[in-house]
Amino acid sequence: MKEELEKLFGEALGNLKVAGEESQVTQVRTEFLGRKGKITALLRGLANVSPEQRPIVGRLANEIKLSLEEKIRESLASIQARKRKERLLHEKLDITLPGRRVPTGRKHPISEVCNEVIEIFLGLGFQISEGPEIESDYYNFEALNIPKDHPARDMHDTFYISDEILLRTHTSPVQIRLMEKQEPPIQIIAPGKVFRCDSDVSHTPMFHQVEGLMVGDNITFGDLKGILTIFLHEMFGAKTKVRFRPSFFPFTEPSAEVDIACVMCQGNGCRVCSSSGWMEILGAGMVDPEVFRIVGYNPNEVVGFAFGLGIERIAMLKYGISDIRLFFENDMRFLGQF
Amino acid sequence: MRASLNWLKEYVDIDLTPVELADVLTMAGLEVESVIKIEEDLSHVVVGKVLSIKSHPNADKLSLCQVSIGDGTFPVVCGARNMKVGDKVPLALEGALLPNSMKIRKAGIRGEPSEGMMCSEEELGIGEDASGIMILEDDLVLGMDIVSALNLEDHVFDLNITPNRPDCLSIAGLAREVAAVTGKALKIPSIEVREEDGRVHDLTSVDVRDPELCPRYSARLISDVAIGPAPFWIRRRLESVGVRPICNVVDVTNYVLMAFGQPLHAFDFDLLSEKRIVVKRAKDGDTFATLDGLERTLQGDALMICDGEKPVAIGGIMGGLNSEVSVTTSNVLIESAYFDPSNIRKTSKKLGLQTEASYRFERGVDPEGVINALNITTRMIADLCDGKVAQGIIDQYPSPFLPKEIPLSIRRTNKILGTSLEKERVGRYLKAIELDNKNLDRDKLIVRVPPLRVDLNREIDLIEEVARLNGYDNIPTTTPLARVTSGRRSSAWVAEDKVKDVLISLGYYEVVNYSFISPKLITSLGVDVNHPFHKFIRIKNPLSEEQSIMRTTLIPGLLRTMKTNVYNKNSDLKLFEIGTVFFPNEEDKLPIEKRMLSALVTGLRYVEAWNFSGDEIDYYDIKGSLENLFRALDIRGCNFSCAGDIPYLHPGKSSTIMIGDTQIGFVGEVHSEVLENHDLSKTAHIFEIDFDLLVKHAFSEKKINLLSKYPPIYRDMALIVKEDVQSIDIYDAIIGCNNSLVKEILVFDVYEGEPIASGEKSLAYRIKYQSFKRTLTDQEVNKAHKKLVSKVLEDMGARIR
Ligand SMILES: [Zn+2]
Repeated sequence: MKEELEKLFGEALGNLKVAGEESQVTQVRTEFLGRKGKITALLRGLANVSPEQRPIVGRLANEIKLSLEEKIRESLASIQARKRKERLLHEKLDITLPGRRVPTGRKHPISEVCNEVIEIFLGLGFQISEGPEIESDYYNFEALNIPKDHPARDMHDTFYISDEILLRTHTSPVQIRLMEKQEPPIQIIAPGKVFRCDSDVSHTPMFHQVEGLMVGDNITFGDLKGILTIFLHEMFGAKTKVRFRPSFFPFTEPSAEVDIACVMCQGNGCRVCSSSGWMEILGAGMVDPEVFRIVGYNPNEVVGFAFGLGIERIAMLKYGISDIRLFFENDMRFLGQF
Repeated sequence: MRASLNWLKEYVDIDLTPVELADVLTMAGLEVESVIKIEEDLSHVVVGKVLSIKSHPNADKLSLCQVSIGDGTFPVVCGARNMKVGDKVPLALEGALLPNSMKIRKAGIRGEPSEGMMCSEEELGIGEDASGIMILEDDLVLGMDIVSALNLEDHVFDLNITPNRPDCLSIAGLAREVAAVTGKALKIPSIEVREEDGRVHDLTSVDVRDPELCPRYSARLISDVAIGPAPFWIRRRLESVGVRPICNVVDVTNYVLMAFGQPLHAFDFDLLSEKRIVVKRAKDGDTFATLDGLERTLQGDALMICDGEKPVAIGGIMGGLNSEVSVTTSNVLIESAYFDPSNIRKTSKKLGLQTEASYRFERGVDPEGVINALNITTRMIADLCDGKVAQGIIDQYPSPFLPKEIPLSIRRTNKILGTSLEKERVGRYLKAIELDNKNLDRDKLIVRVPPLRVDLNREIDLIEEVARLNGYDNIPTTTPLARVTSGRRSSAWVAEDKVKDVLISLGYYEVVNYSFISPKLITSLGVDVNHPFHKFIRIKNPLSEEQSIMRTTLIPGLLRTMKTNVYNKNSDLKLFEIGTVFFPNEEDKLPIEKRMLSALVTGLRYVEAWNFSGDEIDYYDIKGSLENLFRALDIRGCNFSCAGDIPYLHPGKSSTIMIGDTQIGFVGEVHSEVLENHDLSKTAHIFEIDFDLLVKHAFSEKKINLLSKYPPIYRDMALIVKEDVQSIDIYDAIIGCNNSLVKEILVFDVYEGEPIASGEKSLAYRIKYQSFKRTLTDQEVNKAHKKLVSKVLEDMGARIR
């Protein structure tokens, strides 16, 4: 009987080997292990085996049954795996077709750059302050030490609403409004739109500025240099060369114009920087004591610095834009590039 | 301001290259915007001397000359007649190529050899005079090339002089700065005037009636001047700094103005009634013809220079035609004065007339330099025009300007600059710019500032000079001690960022339009004059009518942007802008400013492609964007109600946007008439929201609900209602049933048309029932749903589909 069992087992394995379909495998199971299967039938004759042989043959029969079951499962699994593989191979996509992308928009480059500037200063402990875009002559000029009939007014081509009301020409009035209602220490930036009646390739009648103001009792011109150098390094890269040179603003003294090495020619001199190798990037200075006096601070006790920078100017340098008017035409062919 | 390097070198030694000098000036606060090299290509043109002149045997109008260049003599046939034997002239020899493209060759002219050409200024391209051969100064060396002989090579600096430094609005002023920063000596020549017969005080008088507006008036008289062109070198210099030559007397006054910064004026003395000068204010409404030929109307605060009976000049701004120096002039009165800066500026602004003189007077000239400039001018006119100078100077200067004495604390200087400069060093810096100083106490210097430096009046002004002379680069770069602050952005900024992020993720592009627009754009919206959009603020001095009013809405800007892009073949647009609009306020108050958020969508929802169908954007797209926005800003209680009467929107496809009882904006399809007004054929949808109101309602507090552990059960209901029933009404009716098991209501179908009768439509709802306490049974949900449906049917007069 042992021999017969082994023979049937061999026969079953042989059948499994050639089975290519699941049905053929289940056929093997029925044929050998089913209720009427060959092995089952054989084992019915177990009773006829001698008592000493019976446990041995029984164990062998069990092993063969288990082993065959195992082989059948393996065979089924491998057939299923092969079939899945075949099926998946037929389901191949053209993965080079464009995706179902829901188009997204973009921030205006001015917002983008403005936010970048703001982020840098927030990181340096500045807070944001804002003021009206239509201002009084007092806040835009007089409180900033620019009296009527002062030649410094030539530096601002002003749009007027009336004799006393105008479109702010800089964001500096925000300084005054803030200092009027808040005691030092102060550390703010004021971003916003400003207006000058001027229009050509490098001027638009409206543009954006960020004003900065830091007031306390121990702030120096050296600190002004420090803060602005950090800013410019963050904005244009840590290797950017920065220089401070004397200039004039009625509301700061000493005043400085700040240049960075020309981004086009790396300081070697080109048409963009009129061969100087430098590009004007912002104006700054120590707050004039007269301004402190006007807002009611004691000019002998407080010191501070202020600075102002043009967002369009920075954006033009960053992105290599030569015509400032593009920012306000809102042509998608332009906006889509950012 | 323009400055010639050759001219500068006359007053200070310069051993820097032009580029280095530009850098030195810029770093001293006198910004050089550009350096222009002036060169003349005049090779083979040299200094020659006419040895003989004979008439040409074959041509009446030509002459035969022998011209020597020192080591050679050339025969030259010439058509001009102004030269005489012994004159030095520019001689162009074989190989020369003149600016007018004439090539010089050896040639025969009417049978006589000619080996060169004597040239006029015009032929050399260095002046306008074409009347004859240019006659050179007698001391020039024969054979020298003309470019170096006439010093034609130069560099011109274009400087941006800030309004605080009028002392640098002259060549000598710049030279003073160069001397200070380079350590070289200043070489301002001293001048002696040769006076002849006649005393100025006997011949004329000056009566200053308004010494406040004219603190100093000085004059000299020169007789028997010969009016003609100024010598070449003066004209050349004037042209190099952008001043047009006129005649010798006027050119000299301009030369001294440019050289020393003192404006001067020359009157034809014989045209002055009563031969005297009176300085007084104009009468309101007086008219006066200025040198530029314009008739000008004056106001009472203009200061006039008059003769015995009439005005002859607007003081400090421009002379008059009635006393102009001309070819017939033989006696001149030269004025050198100091006028009140702010009055000059006022008058100049009112007249819209800015001159080299007014530009300097309004910034402030040196009251102590008035006489020196007068003397230099007088001497030059006497020399160049053969004039005779009357004895003496008239100088009305009742209260002389005195040097200012300003104390300067070294401690404060270092505190502000962040430096540790010693007192001696500070003193040295100031001395270099001619500011005498001595010790006041241990800490302070007392600094003497001449009236020339109008910008130095306070300690801080001196601190700036110290910083400048020390060099900003040499001030240590430090960082302030940090303070701990709360660096949070305001909720408006956070909201703005969030709004931008949401809209951008929905495909919207941010745009920035000008804050000023054309009033026509308001009219184009079809709103009547009483509409708030019409209550706009006008700019008094707009660049153009197109930009003459402050916007009261962002919509016209978005329509304009749409047009720009449609024109450029981009017709699928999603745009938004956040910006300020402006409305008038009570008198004397600043206008009301409101921040608005507006958007415009037009064209296809998605560009048609293999994976997207090309459907037109509609009302529900833009409404959906708003719903997304409100969701992101945690705004609750927002609803849309029929607008109907918004003139620029489609009456049936528009709504107002409400939060509770507050209207915050509108949304809808643009009225077709408005689109027509903008030459747009495609439809567009817009919204505009009061951004500040939006922020006010944003970021409401959130309470998070528990999650139910029990499964939901869904039931559908399809209704047939009259077509004017709004979905919100049915929604309200469902809510009105007050069934606490109802957790969600979804409209899943809207249908009009067959087989639904016309005038009716079908709306289908899916309702989610769920309990927090137990698993609901089908039975109880069926019961609840049945009750709910019959209530809704009853409330809405609807029937089940
Ligand atoms: Zn460059």
